[in-house]
Amino acid sequence: MTKKTGTDGAAASGGMLRAPAETLYAEELEALIAEDKHERPPGWRMSARAVHTYVCGGKAGKLDIKPKYIGQPRLVEIAIATLVTDRSLLLIGEPGTAKSWLSEHLAAAINGDSTKVVQGTAGTTEEQVRYTWNFAMLIANGPSHDALIKSPIYRAMESGSLARFEEITRCASEVQDALISLLSEKRLSVPELLTEIPAQKGFSVIATANTRDRGVNDMSAALKRRFNIVVLPTPGTLETEIDIVRRRVRELAVSLELRSEVPSEEALEKVVTIFRELRTGQTLDGKNKLKTPSGVLSTAEAISVLANSMALAGNFGVGKVTAHDLAAGLQGSIVKDEEKDRATWQEYLTNVLKKRGAEWRPLYNACAEHNA
Amino acid sequence: VSWRVNVFGVRHLSPMGGWQLRQYLDAIRPTAVLIEGLNDAGALIPDMVRAATRPPIAILAYTDALPVRTLVYPLAVYCPEYQAIRWATDHKTTVEFIDLSSEHFLGLIDAEYELAERARAEAIAKSKDAEPVDKPAIEETAAVPEPRRSLYQRIAEQAGETDYDTYWERHFEHNASVESYRLAAHELGSSLRDMEEDSPRWRAENLVREAFMRRRVEETIAAGHHPEKIVVVVGAFHAPVMNGDHASMTDDELASLRKRSSKLTLMPYSYYKLSSQSGYGAGNRAPAYFELLWHALDRGAFADLPASYLSLVARHLREHGIPRSTAEVIDGVRLARTLSALKDGLAPTLTDLHDAATTLLGQGERITVVEALARVDVGTAIGELPKGVSQTSIQEDFDRELARLKLEKYKTSSTKQELTLDLRENRLAKTIETAFLDLARSSFFHRLRVLEIGFARPVATREQSTNWKERWELQWTPESEIALVEAVLLGETVELATAYKFNAYLEKCASIADAAVMVRDACQCGMMDAMEQARRHLQTLAATSSDFNAIAHAAWQLGLVARYGDVRKFDPAPLLPLVEELFVQGSLALFPSASCDAEAARGMLVAIDELNRTALEFHDLVDEPLWLHELRRLSDADDRNPLLSGYACAMLLERGAMANDELAREVSRRISPGAPADLGAGWFEGLAQRNRYALLARQALWEQLAAYIASLDDDQFKRALVFLRRAFGGFSAYEKRHIAENLGQFWGLNADLAAEQIEQALTEQEESTLQDLNEFNFDDL
Repeated sequence: MTKKTGTDGAAASGGMLRAPAETLYAEELEALIAEDKHERPPGWRMSARAVHTYVCGGKAGKLDIKPKYIGQPRLVEIAIATLVTDRSLLLIGEPGTAKSWLSEHLAAAINGDSTKVVQGTAGTTEEQVRYTWNFAMLIANGPSHDALIKSPIYRAMESGSLARFEEITRCASEVQDALISLLSEKRLSVPELLTEIPAQKGFSVIATANTRDRGVNDMSAALKRRFNIVVLPTPGTLETEIDIVRRRVRELAVSLELRSEVPSEEALEKVVTIFRELRTGQTLDGKNKLKTPSGVLSTAEAISVLANSMALAGNFGVGKVTAHDLAAGLQGSIVKDEEKDRATWQEYLTNVLKKRGAEWRPLYNACAEHNA
Repeated sequence: VSWRVNVFGVRHLSPMGGWQLRQYLDAIRPTAVLIEGLNDAGALIPDMVRAATRPPIAILAYTDALPVRTLVYPLAVYCPEYQAIRWATDHKTTVEFIDLSSEHFLGLIDAEYELAERARAEAIAKSKDAEPVDKPAIEETAAVPEPRRSLYQRIAEQAGETDYDTYWERHFEHNASVESYRLAAHELGSSLRDMEEDSPRWRAENLVREAFMRRRVEETIAAGHHPEKIVVVVGAFHAPVMNGDHASMTDDELASLRKRSSKLTLMPYSYYKLSSQSGYGAGNRAPAYFELLWHALDRGAFADLPASYLSLVARHLREHGIPRSTAEVIDGVRLARTLSALKDGLAPTLTDLHDAATTLLGQGERITVVEALARVDVGTAIGELPKGVSQTSIQEDFDRELARLKLEKYKTSSTKQELTLDLRENRLAKTIETAFLDLARSSFFHRLRVLEIGFARPVATREQSTNWKERWELQWTPESEIALVEAVLLGETVELATAYKFNAYLEKCASIADAAVMVRDACQCGMMDAMEQARRHLQTLAATSSDFNAIAHAAWQLGLVARYGDVRKFDPAPLLPLVEELFVQGSLALFPSASCDAEAARGMLVAIDELNRTALEFHDLVDEPLWLHELRRLSDADDRNPLLSGYACAMLLERGAMANDELAREVSRRISPGAPADLGAGWFEGLAQRNRYALLARQALWEQLAAYIASLDDDQFKRALVFLRRAFGGFSAYEKRHIAENLGQFWGLNADLAAEQIEQALTEQEESTLQDLNEFNFDDL
């Protein structure tokens, strides 16, 4: 079943590098809508329970629904319940805790459209949150509805659907604050046209924010109050994390058409173990304290290490992920700040990996060689 | 004869159960109310509902002989059982407990312990090669044992809930429609019985209890109550079998049950204890929340519960400096309602409220609200009983002691009062009793301290050396009452309970330091037998130990106790040989222990001082020459921690055991150019730890130092400057001035001028030069 959805998805996405969730999982969404017997909140394509099934996995009729978010299902419940009331949702977490992933799938399930996105950057302006003008028309004809260029949030208000605001803490505080009155009054005023746009039922915003990266701006207390905040934890156990990595690597392998075998279970476990140990600053058994490198070492990076090594193996190697392919990927993601990270990594290699016995020996040798 | 009575299945501590049960009783108007509870606790019922009684309270049953087995049966105001009792008393209706008597229950618990013990013995016998690992002791069985967790877990999972508490709350506590609770509980009971699986012991126990309860129902019918006018209140599990279709217990069967002679009492209880009690799965994780639920039901304002709960949480947060607005509470209520609706619930459960509080009031962080949640869930309520209701032998003994020691007034008032005790004999008193009144009080207070009964707390005094004076803070609180009642499990009187606790501690005690503290405690409690036991235990432990710090500390503690002898009216003679023994051990352990790092050395300073004080205090008893010899060895050694060597040297100086020329030689050896800088500095630091005036007065020392400094070339001087500066860093300005004067004299300088120079603040340039020197690497020289 997994494979089928995968190929369908790849076909449906055509030449797109990455198709939006509603395209990739169209089959599941349709099945859920068809089987849905519960009441739908205004403006939603399916009931809250169906959304939960879509995100956390389950069954729709005979079709298996793949879990999209692996973690505490209760957090997903809280997120969905938030959107059922007209509150906005803020997903906070370290990099790689599936914030954007969850946000995209929620929007895809609820509206069938996850593309009304404001992508927050340090350069995001208030116009990108509210609206801007087609200046040629503005100068030629003066302010008019035709000259208005609506932001994704504007469009979501009009259509009563979800807008997504990615990386909200990357925006300057002034820009973030443009959301305050918008979220509390659910109206957007356009003084130039002497009018006000009321939000239709079903409108809400899902924002995501990062806690650990550098270069983020604090959110004002006033804005925080407008959101229901759900903190997404890093995967709690090694098994959960391996599970997440395995699923995502398989999906990537299909959609990126990597010409290599999927890495072995053993390789997955090794990479995730290394990431978890370096992230928490101690070995899994809790016996050794370790230095932590400067990077965050998120689950997302572990996934990209594996995908990367698959690409290497497929294009330059033997078509099968070897210790050397892994080592190259690990080197790249762990050693960020040349000197310090290199020493930290070297220390970890000699003090921990080297002592782990024959099973780890090839990986150790490869990593040591890369780090030399 | 088959009979049918009205059965109301409940869960203990269930507000909706209590509420619907009252309605049910109003509808049936029974002539007899029979409740699942200790048969012989019936006599306590009138006291449970007196006007001055305020739940939570508990029935405590305990064996009056060793080994002590206990049973606690807590009751909160919202308990169905408690409400049934209330209703029956209000309506002057017969009300009785019908479960097995406490003696049978305690017998059952006894048997269970034995079984577990046997299983453990077998397990150990099987794995003889392996180390016999202590299995965790079986949890003190409180009230009725429940079936295995998994059974309840499965029920919850079938209903799509994560835990049984949430399942129960959603399906039982929120449905206020008539009869819903009784019927649902009956259903649940039946399905639980169907699902019940391989736990023959648990099953057998329930069958016995149920047979006995049916016997009691039949007795009630025989006494003339019409079966239709009898209401039986039992746990949901037992509800389906409370009828005449099943056999009831015969006299022979009853006689064959194992028994332990027992006692019963009522005691005040607290919500905190209710929530932390383990092994009793009865919706008690949040007693204050359930009381809130009960009052909401009572007021007919059930729908307001989420709002009042979250408001309380917000108020608690505000009181602790976290501002949260009413708007957030409103949105919290909405979120909780939606979460509950996702599960088809009628109202938010506690879990929904917790999650809503985390999301809104905690802004996503559980940690922000966790304390407030615990406060609102558990609450601080403590029960109260009218005076004289709770009467255990230890309470009687406590009151007797208070009267004997003229302390009654401290129990009647609830304000905190201080009492200063003078342990010496009052020579003006006429009887021996009054002459040593304060000493007896002190022993009594110390016993309470050991028993962790908060009535008397010691207040630290400044006059540490006076051992005849003590200050205590006295305050009678409900918590003390609870602790006192619980102490009855340890012994019948305060003294016996203390002795029992001492024995228990002693068995566990594995360190010298702990054993020494126990000797002291026993002495303070005036319990000579216990002290002797602790002494022996300490001796055994000390014999095999070479931990210098612990031994020195124990010797010192023991010395203190021995000094008490005078005041506390006991003969310290048995302690003295042990002091002597510990002293020898300590002395011999000094030198080997002294090769340690700087951090450990700081800890050893205290221990060395303690042993030295012991030597001074008991100089006619202990082997002082040995101590001096060991000190000298340490002082002369180059391979031990220099701080400790310096300290030992200072101690010798203080005792006049080191002559001037010896000191001079030692100084020059320590600071000679060949010695590493930090070693010299460490030695000086140790030397300066004790009696600086004696040091300042030693001209020989300064003469040596002056000569040494004069002999240095520039580079050497820079090097020496760094560590000398560190060594004298701890000296006061006055002392530094004194040193400068001393040195100045040898270099022929004007003392006043020199002092002026020294007391001037450093210029920036000097400061930076020093800084550079500090960072200078002398290894390169």
